[in-house]
Amino acid sequence: MHSIMQQPFKNAVLILVWGWLLFLVLAPNLLVVGASVMTRDPVSFLSLPLNLDAYRQLFDPLYLDVFLHSLYMAAMTTLVCLLIGYPFAWALSKVGKQRQLVLIFLLIVPFWTNSLVRTYALKLILATNGLLNSALMSIGLIDEPLQLLYTEGAVIIGLVYLLLPFMILPLYSVFEDLKQELLLASHDLGAGRLSTFVHVIVPLTLPGVLAGVMLVLLPAMGLFFVPDILGGSRNLLVGNVIKNQFLDARNWPFGAAASIVLTVTMAFLMFAHRLSKRRIGEEGA
Amino acid sequence: MTKWLPRTYLTLVYLLLYVPIVVLVVFSFNESRTGYAWGGLSLRWYESLFNNRAMVTAMWNSLWLALSAATVSTVIGALTALALHRYRFRGKKLLNGMLFVVMMSPEIVLAISLLALFLLVGLQLGYVSLLLAHVTFCLPFVVITVMARLSGFDESLPEAARDLGASDFTMTRTVLIPVIMPALLAGWLLGFTLSLDDVVVSTFVSGPSYEILPLRIYSMVRVGLKPEVNALGTLLLVFSLVMLMLSQWILIRSKR
Amino acid sequence: MKKLALAGLLAVGLTGCSSEEPQVLNLYNWSEYMPQEVLDRFTEETGIQVVYTTYDSNEAMYARLKLLDDSAAYDLAVPSTYYVSKMRQEDLLLPIDRSKIEGFDNLDPELVNLDIDPENQFSVPYLWGTTGLAVDTADIEGEPVTAWEDLWEDRFDGRVMLTNDMREVFHVGLRVLGYSGNSTNPDEIEAAYEKLAELMPSVRTFNSDAPRMPYLEGEADVGMIWNGEAVMGKDTMESLEYVYPEEGIIAWLDSFVIPKNAKNPEAAHQFISFVLQPEISALISEEIGYATPNLAARDLLPDEVANNRASYPNATDMINAEFQTDIGDDALQVYAKYWEMLKSGR
Repeated sequence: MHSIMQQPFKNAVLILVWGWLLFLVLAPNLLVVGASVMTRDPVSFLSLPLNLDAYRQLFDPLYLDVFLHSLYMAAMTTLVCLLIGYPFAWALSKVGKQRQLVLIFLLIVPFWTNSLVRTYALKLILATNGLLNSALMSIGLIDEPLQLLYTEGAVIIGLVYLLLPFMILPLYSVFEDLKQELLLASHDLGAGRLSTFVHVIVPLTLPGVLAGVMLVLLPAMGLFFVPDILGGSRNLLVGNVIKNQFLDARNWPFGAAASIVLTVTMAFLMFAHRLSKRRIGEEGA
Repeated sequence: MTKWLPRTYLTLVYLLLYVPIVVLVVFSFNESRTGYAWGGLSLRWYESLFNNRAMVTAMWNSLWLALSAATVSTVIGALTALALHRYRFRGKKLLNGMLFVVMMSPEIVLAISLLALFLLVGLQLGYVSLLLAHVTFCLPFVVITVMARLSGFDESLPEAARDLGASDFTMTRTVLIPVIMPALLAGWLLGFTLSLDDVVVSTFVSGPSYEILPLRIYSMVRVGLKPEVNALGTLLLVFSLVMLMLSQWILIRSKR
Repeated sequence: MKKLALAGLLAVGLTGCSSEEPQVLNLYNWSEYMPQEVLDRFTEETGIQVVYTTYDSNEAMYARLKLLDDSAAYDLAVPSTYYVSKMRQEDLLLPIDRSKIEGFDNLDPELVNLDIDPENQFSVPYLWGTTGLAVDTADIEGEPVTAWEDLWEDRFDGRVMLTNDMREVFHVGLRVLGYSGNSTNPDEIEAAYEKLAELMPSVRTFNSDAPRMPYLEGEADVGMIWNGEAVMGKDTMESLEYVYPEEGIIAWLDSFVIPKNAKNPEAAHQFISFVLQPEISALISEEIGYATPNLAARDLLPDEVANNRASYPNATDMINAEFQTDIGDDALQVYAKYWEMLKSGR
């Protein structure tokens, strides 16, 4: 069916894209893996011998603490996004078609706006002399300004604000796909509302939940500028640690090992996502 | 079921999403320098923005970078999507999977790996390194956008064209390209915006010879409250709003 | 229509590439460490455009210069005291051609020919300054703050700001314990870490981009600050005082250096000479509040600047003052580890 003329075109395209991915994705990532098992060198960044010191350093109780704290903040961010996003996506899927389009549009407008600038705008609101404190004080709810900026809470608020749409969109799409018949069937069989929710809706929306978690949790560990602006250079994320190791402390093996932690987390989440999708596929069949 | 509850909830969340943006826009017209209090209407921050030569240079650099990154990634991405859609070849699943992984990878991982590569091959950090990096993270998004369009596309059309004696090239030009055009534009606009917004990757792979806007903004917001940032943010907001409406309009129009 | 769009794109491409490149000087400097007016006047006079890129710590500057080693295009950087010797010894700098520098003789004899760079072959002093205590007297009640030690008091819970500078923060911890701020003894560093860890619950933020801002924004009332920042901050907030702590201030000297791979060392020399003009040096000291090592410039300063104790300390202020020195890479790693623990601690 395909003419011979196509062959060179097809080959050219494949060579181009494979070349790009091999050279700019695979090779660099292998370099990072390589860097993580090398030895720190004050002059040329990396040197032999190969060893696992960088990984051992990750489990140094001190650094472990940093990672756990970062993970905690990322997990909180994800949880808050899920708690806000799940009912939001549900409510959104129940709105009329025409209005839905407008609402989705409104949801992605912030996403298309510069994220640094939006983080900065949060600072205007959360600062001690900022708008929130002024508002609360003027209506007499508080006498003293609250310390909101430069806290763990401020970092989480910033991350939630930047990442919420990434939780809502995959959730919305699974709610859209939810088979109405399944719900009806479950009702006919006499299941109550809560039982329908637990046994039908939750499992069916699980892939959406996991996709959302993946899209939120990973960036929530990497967006180093959020703690820089809202966290007072405290409340560090894994991203800050990686950035410091590469751009300040010059401990490349350790920075590389830290970034592999992120990659492994990603692989784990992707695996879970696939698994949940497959299970639903089987049940549906 | 009561309808007001979900509606109130939706409204509330939208309100939270938009309050910071509204604050930003309103304060960009604030005369007062010291931040939070209202000091009267003024355009002075816009003025000081455009009088700052380094800022204007960074703006042009960023626009040029976004333009070229979006274009290159659209070309490569569209070709890849076509290949994935039309051809069978070994490693097709792997290619798909790899693009997915690139899309999901935390930006910081991409950033340091590219930095390591550029240093190893001795590429000067500047426009070229930024371009390569930006194209890399835009690529999967373009592929997905175009693939989505192609999968909804009636396979009988190219067959019919071929039956009528059209060559493969003509068929591609007259049937396929018009069909995926909206997706190309949407993908291009997405790439453009991603590139313009990127801080994480650019922090690592930019050099002194090519300063771009996000890094300029980053150093400004770290210094503290700068009313110029409000003005700049408002401009960027308007700009991306126009881009977004354009892409939505293209997509919606193409569906009819 | 399509052709038109294509033509438009091409036109953009052409203007993007073909515009004639003016001469450029890539200046890598601390943030807010050079008045815009100076850069503008330099461009006006020489036609050379200055691209001003900033860093917020010596470590970041040093790491970036090393990183960009072969491809770097920074023509001028401004490391602090001991980083000059470190970079000089590691062969990261170009020697400065004294025949191309005008006005070197104006520099304070006490600030040239130092151990960090004998005979100033690689560096020309730009500004010197101190890191001391900042106190917002409007928001502080009770006894006046006179020592680093005072930061540990309960009344400042959640109101303390530190610079985002590893060496400086540990300097404070070490001095409070009576050690040298340049200690390389791991036990002393650990003790300083323990001491600083006690302070952490009180610390609201770290800032080295503009240490005056947290005070001006009302986020902090007391803590560390650079003297120039204190002077600039007082312009907006009268109640911001600069205090010389009893344990002694941290002193430093920032110098111009030309990185090894500078693309335009010629312009770098020109820029150094430009800044060394007494009138320009005076302007800089007046605008950003740090002390100029340029004696000829000091004569030109208005009295209120020359007599400002924050900018120009007197002899008693400098008692116990300590310059930072190079402590070597091994000690630096010890500091770095505790530093990260400190910043991530709750």
